[in-house]
Amino acid sequence: MGNETRRKNPRILGVVALIFIIIGLYWGLMHAPPDAYQGDVQRIMYLHIPSILTAYLSFFLVFIGSCLYLWKRERRDDILAYSAAEIGVLFTALTIIEGSIWGKPTWGVWWTWDARLTLTAVLLLIFAGYLMLRSLTEDESRAASSAAVLGIIGFLDIPLIHMSVYWWRTLHQPPSILRPDKAPWENIHPAMLTAVAINFVAFMLLYFYLLSLRLRLGETKDQIKLSRLSRG
Amino acid sequence: MAFLKQAGLLLAKDLRLELRRREILLTMFFFGTLLLFVFHFSFDLAPEKVLEMAPALLWLAFLFTGTLGLAQLFQSERDNHCLDALLVSPLDRGAFFVAKVSFNLILMLIVEVFVMPLFWILFNLRSWNLMPLLFLITLLGTAGFCVLGTLLSAMTLRARARELLLPLILFPLMIPVILATIRGMEAVIRSGGLAEGAPWLRLLVGFDVMFLTAGILMFDWVIDN
Amino acid sequence: MHITIRQLAKSYGFLWALKDVSFDLAPGELVALLGPNGAGKTTLLKLLAGLTTPTSGAIEFDGDRPGRNSNRWRSKIGFLVPGEHLYENLTVRENLQFFCRLYDKNHSGAALDHALDTLSLSSRSKEFVAALSSGMKCRLAIAKWQLLEPELLLLDEPYGVLDGRGVDLLEGFLKRQCEIGRIVVVASHHVSRVLQLCSRALILHQGRLIFDEPRRQPWESFARAFSDFLPHGE
Repeated sequence: MGNETRRKNPRILGVVALIFIIIGLYWGLMHAPPDAYQGDVQRIMYLHIPSILTAYLSFFLVFIGSCLYLWKRERRDDILAYSAAEIGVLFTALTIIEGSIWGKPTWGVWWTWDARLTLTAVLLLIFAGYLMLRSLTEDESRAASSAAVLGIIGFLDIPLIHMSVYWWRTLHQPPSILRPDKAPWENIHPAMLTAVAINFVAFMLLYFYLLSLRLRLGETKDQIKLSRLSRG
Repeated sequence: MAFLKQAGLLLAKDLRLELRRREILLTMFFFGTLLLFVFHFSFDLAPEKVLEMAPALLWLAFLFTGTLGLAQLFQSERDNHCLDALLVSPLDRGAFFVAKVSFNLILMLIVEVFVMPLFWILFNLRSWNLMPLLFLITLLGTAGFCVLGTLLSAMTLRARARELLLPLILFPLMIPVILATIRGMEAVIRSGGLAEGAPWLRLLVGFDVMFLTAGILMFDWVIDN
Repeated sequence: MHITIRQLAKSYGFLWALKDVSFDLAPGELVALLGPNGAGKTTLLKLLAGLTTPTSGAIEFDGDRPGRNSNRWRSKIGFLVPGEHLYENLTVRENLQFFCRLYDKNHSGAALDHALDTLSLSSRSKEFVAALSSGMKCRLAIAKWQLLEPELLLLDEPYGVLDGRGVDLLEGFLKRQCEIGRIVVVASHHVSRVLQLCSRALILHQGRLIFDEPRRQPWESFARAFSDFLPHGE
């Protein structure tokens, strides 16, 4: 792939993401009807659901990048893991903030120790720790392999954390879209579903836009390092 | 066979060094006892409430003393560049990991064997009959702590501010163990048997086995330069 | 053991310690590794010892590239750092026993005693290493590698803390190693000492190998290279 196309692609992605975000916001805030029980507060779900899904995708990419790095030792995979972790922390934090804003009028509290909330908070802590480990380890190749192991351990731990906090307490409403007994479109007003879908696409585009920027940043850093190396 | 022989050799070396200096064991034990006093002063619990709180307080004490021990876990290898001496040797990295986990586990169990009865004495608890079952759950939880703690301790070995960093990355990952041990012990105290807490025990065993395997497989990526 | 080093390079962050280093090592060679501080000597030794992995390039032992967990090769490589790599709170004898078991060498107690005896450490065998002088620690390190019988022995700056008798012991030990077909690589600043000892000299300068010749008498090319790159005559 030529340099020219690589430089242009992310920008196009960014513009498309912006368009989708505008459409998604219009659809979610104006077009979709208010929720029968929760009223307008429910509209925050149009951001909340896509952001948690992108956060999960991030942590999956950290896992994939970490495995690939330990296997093949390619800088590219390490940069992928690092970038995905950073963006993942961002989206997890967003998810928690949105959840709080929604929780206050709906549940009457900013924070409650329900299983999914706790899991999300723990994820944030794990990957904040991951970033901290990276920044506090000076030797780069050592930081990369330690972080890769931590990325894998963290990912393996998620089902266990999920199980433990779920047994511990469950108060959260059951997942509102994917319910095993009914098809999604039977539960929800079609306009609401469309709003979620559009916002989901918008967040995915935004996510990959940010990721491609962050990947390029990582690669540029490496190139600077390499050129300094060859100059001596 | 060679794997176990190497692990045994290393464990014997660490135990011998610890018997000579007793630094880690004594500081851990002293700190654990200190925490019990601090808990007693800060909570001022009514006797009937104490038994309810016992699992949480005990585990807080174990978690903190354990972290203290983890920070010292590779001390004998840090002196005199002995870590390099081990890394240039034909030592299997998995055996190295198993030896350090066992060493850490033995230290923590020794401390716990003393601190737990001390808790019962200091807080005037009577239900001594529950102690074996509670200790069984503690054993499983401590094993999980040691397995993951050893791996992360090696990970932070060459990081700046490693003593501060270690609990920051370890504690979030330990949440299944913390929840499972405390809830499991509560179930034992409530019902007097293991049946009620069985799911928590299974979770603990799963955690221990999973991360022990992961550690043996991945330790060389963490410890090698 | 034949060792082939091809285009070896190692970088630490923004610094490069070694670049494009290639050479071969044959049995019986005693190689002096020279160069100013920061020339990459220690890095090269660490790479040979498997303590760190190259950024690019490769080291082959008898045509075999050790990968992850290559313990077969590790048992044949020794890394003698005087006064280090010994447990301070184990006794002299315990240290030797520990490392012999770690390298799976079944030496009898008599063999251990003999090794201690040749280095006049017998009377110290029950003392803690922490209580030894640095010269004594170096002798213990020699005893250790005498017992572990590596095919490639690497030494980093061995002369610094050795007393006169220690130097004789060490050089005698290294010469015997080469006579029985083992390879010795010595990195040092004590140019005059290692030049008398070695059969070949390598000079590293800013991470590059700038000189590699077997020893001759007289050795003008060495003198030239040496004065060019080590102007202070270290």
